[in-house]
Amino acid sequence: MRPLFLALLADDSRYGYELKQSLEQEFDEMLPALNAGQIYSTLARLERDGLVVGRSVEGDNRRKRMYELTEAGQAELTSWLETPVPGARLKDEFFMKFVVVVSAGLAAPMRLIERQRREYLQSLRDLDAVLADGAKGPTAELMVEGAVLHLKADLEWLDLLEQRLAVRKEST
Amino acid sequence: MTATLLKLAFAGIRSRLLASVLTVLLSSAAAATIVLALEVGATARDPWQRTFTAANGAHALANISTEADAQAIATLPGVAEHGEPIPLANVGLYGETDRLQIAGLRSPARVNAPVRIEGAQPPANGIVLEQSFARALGLQVGETLRLATARGPIELTVTGTAVIPSQPRYPRRNPGLAWTTRSTLERVEPDPGRWRWTQAVRLADPSAAPAFADRVASSMPPDSAAVETWQDQRAAALGDAAPTRIILTTYTIVLLVVVFAVVAILVGARASAQYREIGLLKAVGLTPRQVTAVFALEAAGLGVIAVVIGFTLGAWLAPRLAAASADTMLGSPTMAVSPWHLLAASCPVLLVLVSSARSATRRSTRFSVLQAIQSGTPMPAPRSRLAHVLARTSLPVPLTLGINDLLARRHRASRLGGAIAVTAAAVVFALCMQASLDARPAGEASDVPDELPLLVYTLDAVLLLIAATTIVAVALLAVRERVRDYAVLRTIGLTPGQIASSLLGAHAAMALIAAILSVPLGIGLYVAVYGIAGGSSEDRVIAPWWSLALVPLGAVILVTLATSLPARLATRIPTADALRYQ
Amino acid sequence: MTHVRHVLEARGLAKTYDTGGAKVFALRGVDLSIGPGEFVAITGPSGCGKSTLLNLLAGLDRPTSGQVWLDGERIDELSETELARLRRRKVGFVFQFFNLLPTLSAAENVELPLLLVGRGRKEARRSASALMGDLGIGDKQDTAPTQLSGGEQQRVALARALANSPDIVMGDEPTGNLDSAAAREVLALLRAARDRGQTLLLVTHDARVAAAADRVINLRDGLVTDETELQAARPVALPFEHDEFG
Repeated sequence: MRPLFLALLADDSRYGYELKQSLEQEFDEMLPALNAGQIYSTLARLERDGLVVGRSVEGDNRRKRMYELTEAGQAELTSWLETPVPGARLKDEFFMKFVVVVSAGLAAPMRLIERQRREYLQSLRDLDAVLADGAKGPTAELMVEGAVLHLKADLEWLDLLEQRLAVRKEST
Repeated sequence: MTATLLKLAFAGIRSRLLASVLTVLLSSAAAATIVLALEVGATARDPWQRTFTAANGAHALANISTEADAQAIATLPGVAEHGEPIPLANVGLYGETDRLQIAGLRSPARVNAPVRIEGAQPPANGIVLEQSFARALGLQVGETLRLATARGPIELTVTGTAVIPSQPRYPRRNPGLAWTTRSTLERVEPDPGRWRWTQAVRLADPSAAPAFADRVASSMPPDSAAVETWQDQRAAALGDAAPTRIILTTYTIVLLVVVFAVVAILVGARASAQYREIGLLKAVGLTPRQVTAVFALEAAGLGVIAVVIGFTLGAWLAPRLAAASADTMLGSPTMAVSPWHLLAASCPVLLVLVSSARSATRRSTRFSVLQAIQSGTPMPAPRSRLAHVLARTSLPVPLTLGINDLLARRHRASRLGGAIAVTAAAVVFALCMQASLDARPAGEASDVPDELPLLVYTLDAVLLLIAATTIVAVALLAVRERVRDYAVLRTIGLTPGQIASSLLGAHAAMALIAAILSVPLGIGLYVAVYGIAGGSSEDRVIAPWWSLALVPLGAVILVTLATSLPARLATRIPTADALRYQ
Repeated sequence: MTHVRHVLEARGLAKTYDTGGAKVFALRGVDLSIGPGEFVAITGPSGCGKSTLLNLLAGLDRPTSGQVWLDGERIDELSETELARLRRRKVGFVFQFFNLLPTLSAAENVELPLLLVGRGRKEARRSASALMGDLGIGDKQDTAPTQLSGGEQQRVALARALANSPDIVMGDEPTGNLDSAAAREVLALLRAARDRGQTLLLVTHDARVAAAADRVINLRDGLVTDETELQAARPVALPFEHDEFG
């Protein structure tokens, strides 16, 4: 989340409340809910760490404090941009469920897979409907396409899990 | 690089054995006819020479009006040896149209003596017949011959047969020849004024015979003397082979055309079947020219084998074909094998094979490497105008589909059609020939040797066999190339019967058109050959229209039969498997 | 409940291949029924038997055991000729590799089924043109199939399959050989056909195609392992409603 703040200050210095507005409007869905206090405390921490510098304008009301990137902040931002996002995504809630079910024998693993498959297919359908609409802008569409591709991969993974289960069943 | 190309060519031959065998058979037939055409005349040369030597043949044989003239010729300079002047009388056979020239010998002839075959040696009692005349009339020694003279019929017993180098086969040389004693001749034709005289001379320099003949002719009153040199006699004796040679030359051309068409089809099919392979070859570094060279080398290799087989076959058959002329000679025709004939046979055959292969592959190699490897199939030909026209008509769906397929491979279809047309033209030729022979009055001996019709029918049979085999091969090829398309058609709802009929119908339609075109072609061919062979146009008969109509009918039936098996195969493969066919 | 006659029904379908010794059990007993207007997808890993199943249902192959009814008529014992005549009117087929006849133009490919059921040439051409126009390829009528892109070829194939308004359109990986843009177009056309009441049965490994279906049947090792019925699309809340990337 901190890099987001730095990015928003990259091209121009902004008022604190402007930052808050941007965050709420643009990236609202991507982030956990932020209240004003959290936004300003993050700014304060950034200031303390020397990544931004704040200048009060007309009175010591924080609302009207103007923030600007320092050199260190620029460097941190650049480093964030240039560092690729880690590729291997090994956290998957369904897989966690699956492992638990298989090892602890809590439920029929096959049913789990089937139910998840239905959910994935239905989600795929939902996303396709969004695209078929054509009412969304290109950014939203690209996002949806990405989600679709992930879903396709997840469905393939389900097939694989199902296959392994079958093999496992045959060998016991 | 050449070694690689040769290796590829050899592998190519091995991989398409059936097509290679067909090519070899066809080319052998063509080579054999060339060799036959070259040799059939020459095979009679040795027997004639034998006859000439046995007869102490005349380097110059003069036919003059008086005995005095004959004796004068014997005294001309250059004469090394001469016989007595011999009188000849023309007489007809009682009750027949055949005519005979009888020579009255007082003593055995010294020069140009008849060579005894059977019975008595002339001069003898009774009458000794020249062998081909006796054979033509079916007369044996001991039988009676009735001559029609001014004083009524005279019967003579046939006491022998003989041959003589100056008399070609009866009835090509008409009247026939026979020998009797002088007294018998006087009985047959008492009026010496109606006798002709012959004088046979041998020269010190045989090669000067033509000059001698000119001198004789100029020293005689004009039109009273006819002089035959030994070269003339030989040419006349060997002349029997002329019509046979013409027929063989004609059929050589026909066979070469068929070879071209068939080889082009086979090579073209191979090239397109191995389109992808060619693309890979090109990717590896072969230029289009080198790829074409591989196919040309294959064709040439097959051609060499074919020429050797054809040459052997032709050399062996040639004496048998010349058997007719043996009627007038001592001994039978011998093989006239000459290495030049091998060369003469190789050139057209190899030329046709290689050019055919090149023309067939030129199109297939003119594509980009990527296209070939990716698609695996050659670019289809753009739609022809004919296909557009047909699309508008209301022919049944299977037929239009079949014709479309045929037209899509336009080159192959036109070559196949050409082969059918040319084969059918040869059949028309044979029918016309048979009609002309049938039209002769019964009982008249034929100046066409017996072997000739047999030869024509044999060659026609070979052509028909090749045409039938080619049609089957091409139809099988077409089916193999369209296995997946047929499966798709069955999926859409064409019944197996409709698929078979699309193949059959299109080919039958093409055969019908080709055969109809072949009728005027065959008639034209017959007229041309007849003219070249020196026949008179009154005797020439074109086959009746109902027998000519059999040719297109026969072509359709033959093609239908030939494509029925491949058509059945087309529907046998289960659809699901066929859809996966590549 | 009124009994709606199924368009396609199969019971106990099994297919075994005997390839010189080793037997391959491609299908081991599959039951299936498809009602009019349904869009059913069959998915599963490769080698699970889905193409075999489709071939059996379309009468392109004979089952080792089991029965198939198409529009109430038993088809697994019909002769090849009868099956061909039946398919003409009742089944449209779309292949993965398009399988257009290369010697015919696009329009001629489309009108072929119409000609086979006996429509006149002019009438068949009119219907074919209209159909091609509906599918967005009206300007490609006289083009040869080899000069069309993959997506265009598949649309021609789809037009051909729809030409006789068949009872059911079957597809074997209809988007399998298309790039994603073309695949999307073809899927949209298939959905449109379904919206007009066409029954669809598609074999696919493309999850998107499966997700468009009303019912997804999962096959593995020759048996049905799962059958999912999908609901209508639910609304999705999206970030980036504004146009950062525009």
